[in-house]
Amino acid sequence: MTDVVPDLELAPPTKVDRDEVFLEYTKSICPVCKVVVDAQVNIRNDKVYLRKRCREHGQFEAIVYGDAQMYMDALRFNKPGTIPLAFQTEVKDGCPSDCGLCPEHKQHACLGIIEVNTNCNLDCPICFADSGHQPDGYSLTLDQVEVMLDAYVAAEGAAEVVMFSGGEPTIHPRILDFIDAARARPIRYVTLNTNGIRLASDKAFVAALAERKVNVYMQFDGFSERTHLQIRGKDLRARKQRALDNCAEAGVSVTLVAAVERGLNDDELGAIVRFGIGHPAVKSVAFQPVTHSGRHVQFDPMTRITNSDVVHGLCEQLPEWFRPSDFFPVPCCFPTCRSITYLLVDGDTVVPIPRLIDLEEHLDYVTNRVMPDGQIRAALEKLWSASAVPGTQVSAEQLECATCGIDLPEALRELTDKAFMIVIQDFQDPYTLNVKQLMKCCVEEITPDGRLIPFCAYNSVGYREQVRAQLSGVTVADVVPNALALQPLLADTKYGSKTAAGSATHTADAWIAPDHTNVGHRLR
Amino acid sequence: MSTPTEVTAAEAKACCAAAYSTDAVAMILGESYHPGGLALTRHLVGLLGLQPGQRVLDVASGPGSTALLLAREHDVHVDGVDLGALAVAKAGAAAAEQGLDQLVTFHVGDAERLPFDDASFDAVICECAFCTFPDKPTAAAELARVLKPGGRLCLSDVTIATGGLPEELAGLAGWVACLADARPLGEYAAILADAGLQTVTSQAHDNALATMVERIGARLVAFRMLADTPGLGGVDFPRALELTAQAARAVSDGIAGYGLLVAGKPGP
Repeated sequence: MTDVVPDLELAPPTKVDRDEVFLEYTKSICPVCKVVVDAQVNIRNDKVYLRKRCREHGQFEAIVYGDAQMYMDALRFNKPGTIPLAFQTEVKDGCPSDCGLCPEHKQHACLGIIEVNTNCNLDCPICFADSGHQPDGYSLTLDQVEVMLDAYVAAEGAAEVVMFSGGEPTIHPRILDFIDAARARPIRYVTLNTNGIRLASDKAFVAALAERKVNVYMQFDGFSERTHLQIRGKDLRARKQRALDNCAEAGVSVTLVAAVERGLNDDELGAIVRFGIGHPAVKSVAFQPVTHSGRHVQFDPMTRITNSDVVHGLCEQLPEWFRPSDFFPVPCCFPTCRSITYLLVDGDTVVPIPRLIDLEEHLDYVTNRVMPDGQIRAALEKLWSASAVPGTQVSAEQLECATCGIDLPEALRELTDKAFMIVIQDFQDPYTLNVKQLMKCCVEEITPDGRLIPFCAYNSVGYREQVRAQLSGVTVADVVPNALALQPLLADTKYGSKTAAGSATHTADAWIAPDHTNVGHRLR
Repeated sequence: MSTPTEVTAAEAKACCAAAYSTDAVAMILGESYHPGGLALTRHLVGLLGLQPGQRVLDVASGPGSTALLLAREHDVHVDGVDLGALAVAKAGAAAAEQGLDQLVTFHVGDAERLPFDDASFDAVICECAFCTFPDKPTAAAELARVLKPGGRLCLSDVTIATGGLPEELAGLAGWVACLADARPLGEYAAILADAGLQTVTSQAHDNALATMVERIGARLVAFRMLADTPGLGGVDFPRALELTAQAARAVSDGIAGYGLLVAGKPGP
C-alpha cells in the first residue's frame, strides 16, 4: 500500500468570516445628492462605522464612534422622550424629509437655536453655517425673531434654553432686542454663541449681557497660532483673552467651545480644560468634533474624530484628573450623541462628580425599570441634558438636589460655585447622519416659518440651504462635504463651501431629501 | 469616629451598626453602604430564585434599601433585622413612604439570636455584614435554623486573603471595622457548611470593593473642599485619606476583596 496523498486541487473551498459585526440597520442620506438611502452600522476593529450606498453615487463609509465598547455601553442610558406641546409639520415622506418637528419625532426641544444673520466679522476656514463677509445673506428682523420665539414657546410651554447664533450674532444691530424678546417669554436661559471679537473691545456690550444674565458660548479652539490660523483664519489669541477677562469683570459666565479637528488641535484638549478651570469667567468647556457640513478643511471620513476619541484624548492629556468612566452619555438625546461630566474644582484639586455617586444606578433606564427616587433621577436628568447651563442658579439647584439626594451633606450645596462642566458633542454630517439618532435629537434650529428642525438635519439634509434661500432671496448651492474621496466631484460655492459639480441648487420650495429607501415597488 | 489600634469583634459589630446609623457615615459612604451597590444587590437577589408571595429575611438590613427592592421587584414578604435601632426606624419610615409597609417589616435584633421561628423563610439574604458578626458559627446556625428545608441563603461579604492583613495594614482594621474579622471566601463557606448550609455558588467581585473604596476617597476629597462641613468637623482628613489609600492598595494587591456565596439548606 502507498500513502494516500490528499489532492489539494480537490480540497473543498472554505468559508471565511466577515471582518465586522453587523449592529444596526438604519437610514441616512447620500452625501452628494442628499437622497435618503438605507444604511448599516458595523463594528470593525473595535470601532463603529456607518455605511450606505447611493444608486447614483456609490458607496460611502464613515467612522461614527472610535470606541465600540463605549458605544455599546452608552445604549443603556436612553430615557423615554417627552412629547412636545405642538408639532409643526406632518408625517408625509418620513424622516429626515418632514422636519420639523413632525409627530414621529421622539423628543421635545431642550435647546432652540436662532441664527440671526449670515454675516460675520470673520471668514473662518471652518464654519458649518457657511457665514462670513458676504453680500447676499440675510439678517432677521425683530418681528421674525418674535415669531420664532413664539413657535418655540408654543411647542415647549416653559422652554429651557434659546441660543442666538449666526453668522456672528453680536454684529446684528438688534441683538439686545432679540435677547430681551426671549427674556420676556417663558424661556429659562438665553445663550449667545459668539467668536468673542465684540466682547474683547465693547465693555458696554458685555455689561448689557451681564445685566440680561446671558450665558456666552465662546469659540475657543486652542492656544497655538496654527490652530487659530487653520480654524479661524486669524490669530485671535489676545482678543479671546480680553473677551474672557471682560466677561469675568462683568460677571458673565462663559462656555469655551472648541471645534476639534484631527491632527489640528486634538492635542490641545487638556490645555483648554486646564485654562477654563483657571479662568474666573469660564464655567464649562464644550468640545465639538468639527461638523463636516458647510465650510471645512478637507477631511477623511474614515479617520475623523468622534466623541470617544475626545474622551480618550482628554484622559491621555490629563491623566491626573480624568479617566473614561468619568464621562457619561446624555440620556435625553440619543446617548451616543453627547457625553457630559461635572467636576468639583478647588485650586488644583479636581473631583469628577461621577466618582462621588453611582450615576449608573440612576441613569441606566434599561436595567432599572423601577426607580424608587424620582427626585434624584429628575435632578440628574437635568444635569445630564442638552439644556444644562453651568454657572446658573437652576443648574446649581439641580446639582444640589442630585448631590444632596444621594446623601451628600447639606454643606455640599456651597460647592456649586466650584462646579465645572465638560460637554462632548459630535454633530452629524452628511456622511455620519443616522436617522435613528436624528429622530431623538433635542437641539433644534428654529426657522422664521415656525419650524423646529433638528440641528443635524438642518446642517446635513438640505434645510440650511432651503432656509437661507428663502430668507436671502438668492439661490443657494447644495453643500457637499469636502471629503477626500469626493474631490473629483467637488466645485467651490460662492460662500467657500463645496458643492458637487452640476448638482441642484436650492430655491425656496426645493424638495428636501427624496426617499430612495422604500420606493413602493413590489417584487412582481 | 476614633482610630483605635485594635478592636474586638464584638466592638466591631456594635461600632458598625451604630456608625451606619449616623449621618457622617451616610455622607461618606453614600446610599449604597455595601460594595457593588444596587447592581450587585440585584445580581445577588437574582440568585435567590424567588417566587411571588414567598417570605424573605434580610439580615443586617441597614437603611432597608435591599428589603424594599425585594418587595418592589419580586412581590415577596420581607422581614429586615438590624442591630441599629435608628436604622430600623428609618427603614420602617422608608417602607411606609414607598407604600410597601404591608410587605416589609423591620425589627431590631441580633443575627446571633434571630427573633423568628424555625423554618420561617424561603430565602435569607445577608449583605456585607457576616464579617462583622463576632460569633460566626452561632450566626450561621441561626441563618440555617430560620430557613425552611430547601431554602436558600445568599451572602455577600468582604473577604481577606489567607493570613489576614499584613503588619503595615493593621491600622486599617482598626478603622474599617469589617476588615478586622473578614475571612477568605472558602472559610465563610466552611462555616456555613458546619451549620448545615451547602454552598452551591461562589463568586469573587473584588472590583466592587475597589470602586467603593475609590468613591469614599473621592467623597473625602470633596468634603475637604469645605472647611466647615457640619457633622464632619471631627474627621481627620489626612488620616482618613491615608487609610483610604491603604485600603485601595489592599484591594489591588489582592489582600482584601469582595465575594458572594449561595448556600442551600437540604430540603424535601
